[in-house]
Amino acid sequence: MSIEEQVKDILARITRVDKAIITRESTFKEIKADSLDVVQALVAVEETFGIEIPDEDAQKFQNFGDFVSYVESRVAQTEKV
Amino acid sequence: MADNKNIVRNGKIRVAVDAMGGDYAPGEVVKGAVLAAQKDDVEIFLVGAADILEQELAKYRPTNGSFIHVVGASQVIKENESPVDVIRRKPDCSVAVAAKMVKAGEADALFSAGSSGAAAISAIQFIGMVDGMYRPALVGSLGSFAPNTVMVDLGANVDCKPDQFLAFAIAGSVYAKRFLNITDPKIALLSTGSEESKGNDAVREAHLLLKNSGLNFIGNIEGGDILNGKANVIVCDGFVGNVLLKFYESIGGYAQVWTEAKLKKHPPLRALVRVLFKGLFPATRISSESEKQGGGILWGVDGIVKIAHGASRAPQIANAIESAKEAVKAGVVESLKAELAKLDLSKNQPGR
Repeated sequence: MSIEEQVKDILARITRVDKAIITRESTFKEIKADSLDVVQALVAVEETFGIEIPDEDAQKFQNFGDFVSYVESRVAQTEKV
Repeated sequence: MADNKNIVRNGKIRVAVDAMGGDYAPGEVVKGAVLAAQKDDVEIFLVGAADILEQELAKYRPTNGSFIHVVGASQVIKENESPVDVIRRKPDCSVAVAAKMVKAGEADALFSAGSSGAAAISAIQFIGMVDGMYRPALVGSLGSFAPNTVMVDLGANVDCKPDQFLAFAIAGSVYAKRFLNITDPKIALLSTGSEESKGNDAVREAHLLLKNSGLNFIGNIEGGDILNGKANVIVCDGFVGNVLLKFYESIGGYAQVWTEAKLKKHPPLRALVRVLFKGLFPATRISSESEKQGGGILWGVDGIVKIAHGASRAPQIANAIESAKEAVKAGVVESLKAELAKLDLSKNQPGR
C-alpha cells in the first residue's frame, strides 16, 4: 500500500469520514478534523512510519497533499540513512 | 482499565489523582485525597511534582499515610494551555501520567479537577475509548424537577456526528439504569419539533439511526417536554446541552430576584419567598453527580475518569474520589460496553 493510502487510512479512521472523500486538495477543515484529530493523526503517522513531525512543520500543512508529501519525503530521508 | 479481579484481591479501589490540577492544587487536592483515604476501601496515588506533594502530604501523614502514595510527574498542564499539548508537548504532565496508570492497570480510576479538556484528551489518547464511542460524553440527571430524566451530552462535544447521538443514548440509558434504577429507559431526541423531519442535518440523521436501533426510542421531543418526564434519556449535542444546563441552573436565582422585586411592598411575603427559594434554587441544578459526587464521569472512556470543577475544595474532591470509586464498583464501563455491543455501531462509523 502506498504511503498516501496508509496516511489516508489513518486520517479516515481518526476523523471517521469515508476515505473516498479525502483528496490531496482536502483541507483538515473540509474533512471536519478538529485539533485533537490532527494531533492524533500526526502521532499515528509518526508511529507507523518511524518518523518525527515537529509542530513547526505540521503547522505548514495546508491540505492532505502537503501532509502526504511531507511524510513521503521524511520516509525517503529515513530510508537513505 | 479497571480490573475487577485486582479490586477483589486487594480489597481496595486504586484512584490516580491529578494532584496538580485545580484552582487550589495541590494543597486542597492533597487534603481532599487524605479525607477520601479515611475510607478503608480506597488506595490513592497522588500524581504530580513529587517533592511538593511529599511536603503537602507530610502535613497529614501521621494519621493517613498508608494508602496514599506519591507518583512523580515532571510537567503540569495549565488552564491557559491547549489541552492537545498533553499528547505531544507535555506527555509527562500529571493528568497524562495518571491516565497512563489507568491504562497500565496500575490504577482503577482517574480523578482530575484540572483542565477538563486536558483530562478528556489524556483519557482519549492514553486510556482509549470503548468500541462505539468516539469522544467522551457528559451525562447528568435533571434533579428535582425531573428526577427520572437524564440529559446527554452536557458539553463535551460541541459538534457531533449522527452516530454520536446513538452512543449518547446508550450512555444515558446505562446511567438511568445504574443510578436512577429505571429498567427500560425511554429515550428521546431533543429537536425543534416532534416530526422526524425537524432539526438540523445531524439531528435528522440521528433520528433515523435511533429509530432503527432497537433502543426504546420514543421520538423527538421539544424544549417544553424536557421537564415533563416524557423521556428518561434526552439526547442532544454538547452545544445545546451545555447552553441548556447553564440556563436551567440560572433559573432559580433569577426567579427569586424577580419575585422579591414584585413583592417589594410586602416584606412578610418577601421573607417567605426568600425561604421558599432557598429550596427551589438547588432544584435547578442539573446532575446529582455534580452536587453530591463532586463532578462528572467522562462516559465512553475505557476506564473511569472523573472530572470536577477547578474551584473544588477538599470536601468536593473527597466526594469526587469517593464517587469515582463507586463507579468502578458499579462496573459502569462494563455496562456501557455490554450495551454498545448489542448494537453494531461500526456500520455507522464511516472511517472504520
